[in-house]
Amino acid sequence: MHPTNLLIVDDEQDFVATLLKRLQRRGIACRGALTGSEALDCFRQEYFDTVLLDMKLPDLDGNTVLRGIKKIRPATRVLILTGHASYSSGREGLSEGAADYLLKPVEFETLLEKLLFGTAKHSRGSPEQEHW
Amino acid sequence: MKMYVATIPGEALKVRSKESYYARQKKLFVLLVIVVSIMPLLIISWTSSHFYRHSWQRQTSLALASLAESRLEVVNLFLENQENLLAGLVDLYALEKLADQDQLQQVFEAVNHSGVIVDLGVIDRQGRHLSYVGPFRQQLLARNYAESEWFREAMANGRYVSDVFQGFRGVPHFVVAVTASDRSWVLRATINSELFNSLLQSAEVGPGGDAFIINAKGELQTPSRLGLSTMPREELAALTGTGAPRILFSRDFIHVAAGVKNNAWLLILKTDIHTSLAEFYRARNRDRLIIAAAALTILMVATLLVRSMVGQIEKADRQRLVMSNRMRQAEKMALVGRLAASVAHEINNPLQIVGDQAGWVEELLEGEGASNAENLAEYRKASAKIREQVKRASTITHRLLGFSRKEGERVATDINRVLEESLSFLETEAQKHRISFRKELAAELAPAVTDASQLQQVFLNIINNAIDAIGEDGVITVTTGSAAERIKIEFTDSGPGLPPENLGRIFDPLFTTKELGSGTGLGLSISYNIMQRLGGDIQAGNNSGGGSVFTVHIPAAVGTLANSA
Repeated sequence: MHPTNLLIVDDEQDFVATLLKRLQRRGIACRGALTGSEALDCFRQEYFDTVLLDMKLPDLDGNTVLRGIKKIRPATRVLILTGHASYSSGREGLSEGAADYLLKPVEFETLLEKLLFGTAKHSRGSPEQEHW
Repeated sequence: MKMYVATIPGEALKVRSKESYYARQKKLFVLLVIVVSIMPLLIISWTSSHFYRHSWQRQTSLALASLAESRLEVVNLFLENQENLLAGLVDLYALEKLADQDQLQQVFEAVNHSGVIVDLGVIDRQGRHLSYVGPFRQQLLARNYAESEWFREAMANGRYVSDVFQGFRGVPHFVVAVTASDRSWVLRATINSELFNSLLQSAEVGPGGDAFIINAKGELQTPSRLGLSTMPREELAALTGTGAPRILFSRDFIHVAAGVKNNAWLLILKTDIHTSLAEFYRARNRDRLIIAAAALTILMVATLLVRSMVGQIEKADRQRLVMSNRMRQAEKMALVGRLAASVAHEINNPLQIVGDQAGWVEELLEGEGASNAENLAEYRKASAKIREQVKRASTITHRLLGFSRKEGERVATDINRVLEESLSFLETEAQKHRISFRKELAAELAPAVTDASQLQQVFLNIINNAIDAIGEDGVITVTTGSAAERIKIEFTDSGPGLPPENLGRIFDPLFTTKELGSGTGLGLSISYNIMQRLGGDIQAGNNSGGGSVFTVHIPAAVGTLANSA
């Protein structure tokens, strides 16, 4: 499944801008939104089959946006990417129908793979078991 | 030296500083008990002893006084008897009859059955012996008494009793003389002093006592038992008087004095205070012994009671301290957890951007082609390094998030299996350092309903630390067992053990003894937090045989049907 249109929702402008540039360079149609309400506006205006969603947005809670998106088009694949990970919000997101839950920072390659194919294993953000 | 340590922080130190306080309390309580229980005992003992001594003395002196009175009566009666006897003879017989030697002899024998009268003489107005019966006939018959004091007194008063005197006989005696009513002659008798003395000798004045009679000049009329020859002047002065017996207390004696022979003589009874108080002293010593025993018992019981009481208080204080320390530690860990998580969150976003920018630069460099081939490789290398460091930083931030991680899924977990798995992860690492694992896992271990992955994180932390602590060559022993509805997991290593000064800080975040850069000091801290969340605990200490021991407790699932949370 190759996504035809991607929506990147994050309040970090630098993150969104760079990601959009790199995706567009690979010929992937995408668009960015810096707030939750902007994201929902975009979603109503355009068709997006995949959304990359930050959990902490200046106006709306990530899970609220997630519910809004699922309400409009339940089949939309939503990936949660956040620096503010917490198990409860992550689990809530997954139970609301998010396809995956990623903790920042994520390598671009990994992120790309997940966005396009959703192949990377369900990691649930459970971190390393490497020793320290 | 790489070591990790732990226990309840700071507690040992604080308790030690309080020791002197408890010792002080003990002393204070014991002192209090002594004051309130032993002091009254001593006061009662002292006052009653004083009182009894006083009353004993009084009783002794009264007994002595009554003894004096009875002796007084006896002595007076004796003297009166002699006087009356002579007076009777004078009245009964005419001079002519008594002046006759044979007749006087008859009379003497008739009245002198007791042998009290030594001799009997009849003297005429001029002081010449008319007749004499007694052992000194030759010496006395020629004697003229006209100038003798007794004769003059008798002639003047009609009756006379002399003081005791040696006379020319060399034997103490005294004279009783009675004149005829017309003063024409005198009947004179010498009284046996020995018999008179025996009246006083029999007085019961105790072993150290004395009984004698003195005349107005202080001369002893009867011998003193103690061998006195005269009476000390000051005693005499104090005792002289008339009427009822007078009592005088001196340092060693109680004196009683009473007038005899119309107060011409003084009867004196003395008793030794110490001898007469002997029984009182015995009773007092017995009382003192009893009081000492009672005081000793009180002291012992008080000491034991106080010791156990203060011991209880100390124990309670210690427990409270341990509890409050635990609570403080838990609060600290929770606070640190929140802080660490929020810092990690804030750093994750910039890290993402830094990494992305580096990646973007790399991508662009590819497009630039060989325009600047010289530095192209360096740019790529630099960009790769940036991404590498971002990754390194992210492992730290992700680990920090372990602090605030909320509930994972809890399922029935076989602790032994989690341990085996953890050990297998580190097998290669351990072999590299020639460290072997020894497993002493309980065969029938109850399952625990818990978050296996978090528990594994704890186990891995502890085993890793053990490997680091040992360095090269050693053994790590893992033991499992059940203890009071909890599962106990013990990790013992053959390393150098934990320095006592580190025991209090080992679970503190960012505390590490590892070389700079090789340890974050978060491992045990996170483990502590995890165990708190899982309802268990983690403790660190030293093995008696050397090396450190980490003990983890986790609640066991209750019942056998504990399949899921």
